[in-house]
Amino acid sequence: MASNAPAIEVSGLAKNFGRTAALSGLDLRVETGQVAGFLGPNGSGKSTTIRILLGLLKADGGTARMLGADPWQDAVALHRRVAYVPGEVNLWPNLTGGQAISILSKLHGEVDERRRAELLDLFDLDPTKKARSYSKGNRQKVALVAALSSRAELLLLDEPTSGLDPLMEQVFTSCIREAAAQGRSVLLSSHIFAEVEKLCETVTIIRDGRTVESGRLAELRHLQRTQVTVEVAGNPAELAGVPGIEELQLSGATASFSVDPDLLPGVLAALAAHSPRNLVSAPPSLEDLFLRHYSEDPALPVSARGGER
Amino acid sequence: MSTGTARRRTPAEHAQRHAAAARGTGTLTGVGTAALFILRRNWLRLAIWALVLASMIPVVYDSQQQAFPTQAARDAYAQVANTPAVAAMTGLPYAAGSLGGILVIKIWMTLAVALAFAVVFLVTRNGRADEEAGRTELLRSTALGRHAYPSANYLVSAALCLATGLLISLLCLSVELPATGSWVMGASIAGTGLAFIGLAAICGQLASTSRGANSLGVALIGLFYFIRAAADLQAEGVNPSAASWFSPIGWAQNMRAFGEDNWWPLLALASLGLAGCLLALRLESTRDLRAGLLPERRGPAAAGSFTTTALGLALRLQRSSLIGWFLGAAVSGLFFGSVAQAMSSLLDPENPFARNFVGTGHSMLDGVLGIFVLFNALLAGAFAIQCLGAARSEEESGRLEQQLAGSLARGTWLGAHLLIAVLGSGVILLLGGYLTGAASQGSAAPALLAGACLAFWPAVLSLLGLQLLAFGYVPRFTTAIAWAAYGISVMAAMFGGLFSLSEDVIRATPFGAIPRMPAEDFSWAPLAVLLLISLVLGAAGMGRFNRRDVLAN
Ligand SMILES: Nc1ncnc2c1ncn2[C@@H]1O[C@H](COP(=O)(O)OP(=O)(O)O)[C@@H](O)[C@H]1O
Ligand SMILES: [Mg+2]
Repeated sequence: MASNAPAIEVSGLAKNFGRTAALSGLDLRVETGQVAGFLGPNGSGKSTTIRILLGLLKADGGTARMLGADPWQDAVALHRRVAYVPGEVNLWPNLTGGQAISILSKLHGEVDERRRAELLDLFDLDPTKKARSYSKGNRQKVALVAALSSRAELLLLDEPTSGLDPLMEQVFTSCIREAAAQGRSVLLSSHIFAEVEKLCETVTIIRDGRTVESGRLAELRHLQRTQVTVEVAGNPAELAGVPGIEELQLSGATASFSVDPDLLPGVLAALAAHSPRNLVSAPPSLEDLFLRHYSEDPALPVSARGGER
Repeated sequence: MSTGTARRRTPAEHAQRHAAAARGTGTLTGVGTAALFILRRNWLRLAIWALVLASMIPVVYDSQQQAFPTQAARDAYAQVANTPAVAAMTGLPYAAGSLGGILVIKIWMTLAVALAFAVVFLVTRNGRADEEAGRTELLRSTALGRHAYPSANYLVSAALCLATGLLISLLCLSVELPATGSWVMGASIAGTGLAFIGLAAICGQLASTSRGANSLGVALIGLFYFIRAAADLQAEGVNPSAASWFSPIGWAQNMRAFGEDNWWPLLALASLGLAGCLLALRLESTRDLRAGLLPERRGPAAAGSFTTTALGLALRLQRSSLIGWFLGAAVSGLFFGSVAQAMSSLLDPENPFARNFVGTGHSMLDGVLGIFVLFNALLAGAFAIQCLGAARSEEESGRLEQQLAGSLARGTWLGAHLLIAVLGSGVILLLGGYLTGAASQGSAAPALLAGACLAFWPAVLSLLGLQLLAFGYVPRFTTAIAWAAYGISVMAAMFGGLFSLSEDVIRATPFGAIPRMPAEDFSWAPLAVLLLISLVLGAAGMGRFNRRDVLAN
């Protein structure tokens, strides 16, 4: 298998469940050794994509390659090189967490016993308890320990932190950084922007089964526009003609608009002429980009969407 | 039922308490509301327990009256009634010469133990199970007093015991059994239930899961049953050894309905129940919500290397179920074998109903044995369907997805589950058949009956084939289709003749197609046809499963 093939290469992927189209034209690319974010609101098709990559679902259209192989045809061989953490972890209620870890990690290929012990310690998980008594977070830890203690080249993580408390999320973050440092590839699906921003070099944003944005985080940040809210002495409607000002919204003496960072000097000069009394400028935020793709109405002013940071 | 009354209180505490009581915030506030709530949630369950248990009285009374119509017949029975088997299973036959005494021998133990099971399950259901599911947390946050809900739980269970006892007494009176005996009969059964409410209440404090609480309660029932069985076995005449007093079931037995009619053990039974409930309430206020007083059972920190294989895991998951089914097959085989001779001499060859069951071909004994062979085959079929059903529940729960996301081929995984269902049903057929023969006191050769049972293997396999087909093509309906097919096959094979189904139709169903040896003669053709059908259906289902989406619900 070609060693220089990307870890994941998906294009035009389509999948229908009866009459619902879960995916319709999804593109996703993860280079070898990269930590890639896979962002989208609930129901946008993240889990479906990952299940197709795992050969659990058969695609209805488009192509998918993983580690240079066909995820459906070569499933069993491929899975020795891949580890998976599902969004909803279900364990055998009568077996202990430790037994479940043994079973799952053996399925992911070679197991690093020392790493397993370390991870149990880090995640503060008691492996002798029956899985019946585990909370959602503890079940998630079982899947994480199983996946991270394998020597898999590629980690497919489907909203892996949804049940973890903030402390455990930190442990998770450092484990992923470590995996990345070892040269492993990671696909991290999430619906929380901050998590992806913290860990990933690239991000693919999907909505309704379609890729709507993808690229390196740094580049995407550059694409974003600065948000300005300003209160002026004169009539703010006159700002409409200034080159660089877009998405202008007026309320009384206050104007809100977005500006391409490259055109900011000219806009500021024009503003000065209107004797601004109060000015707030927000730096380009990826969260805004993300929220813009989330919201039904793309024309909605970014400032009105406000994310919590 | 408040706790801590023994401790001296400061005047301030007194004042606080009075104020609290005035505002209606005592620990028992709302017990009535809680009881109504529990009744609403359980009324059907309660009604079924009470009615089913009580209705045994007229049914058994009628049958015993027919079996022993005259005093002479009852006196004759009294001469032979006191066998170790009767003493161990149902207690000492102290009044076997009267219809009331015979009723006690035949049904008292069943009713008392069944009521004990009922209260154990009921107390757990509205106690530990609610706590485990987080419903208790919700209730505690309301205006209910701390002890109100558990007290209501115990009171509702007590009401079940009293209602069941009352119904039993009234039904005994209605068939004109002696009045005192009738009241003691109902009271002794109700008393057994009351005592086990107290024990179940404590179990609910010890275990941290509802499974654990139920297992502890059932274990206590078993323990006390065996203690009294030992006491009854070491009896002098019809008086049990003193060990009988170490079991609440023994106390209730010693009330001796229709014999001495003792009332005072009822006081001990009720006291045990009350003391258990009070202790449970006390324990509940000393522990954290959701915690149990017993440490949780631990297990191994890692799985052995066999358990991590597909077959090893499937076997591990099915372990307790396999043991249960094999034991069931063994016990029913032994039972069938031991009653075969007696049953065939009891059955009237001229009775058309009996003829319908045993067939017309061979002797009555062979007919009865043929029926038992069929029963065993039905058992194996039910096992097989339940066993392969585990494959579907692995998929439904999402656990299959996690396994197939590893380097496990779909065929290997399904093959492991199939292998257990196939081989397990073979074991049940051989075991049940062999033990039927072994227990039949020479009526039939064990090996012969084992073979007769094994002839039904293709019938079981054809049902598995259909289940696989459903699993491949319409996974959501696997369970429904498999059990529907099983139910129809059972009805056709057992009652087809009664429903005047034609012979050809019956022969076209799995269990009807196989020759029912030793009542019928063996032939290869139906076995070969069923085997072929199994293979075709199974292969189609397996093939489809390899190509379809794996979906959790
Ligand atoms: N088994 C299924 N049957 C029917 N619809 C499904 C099934 N699985 C997913 N879907 C639908 O496909 C869409 C994408 O779901 P999913 O991939 O789970 O989204 P995400 O993981 O991004 O939340 C949703 O609209 C969901 O309702
Ligand atoms: Mg999802």
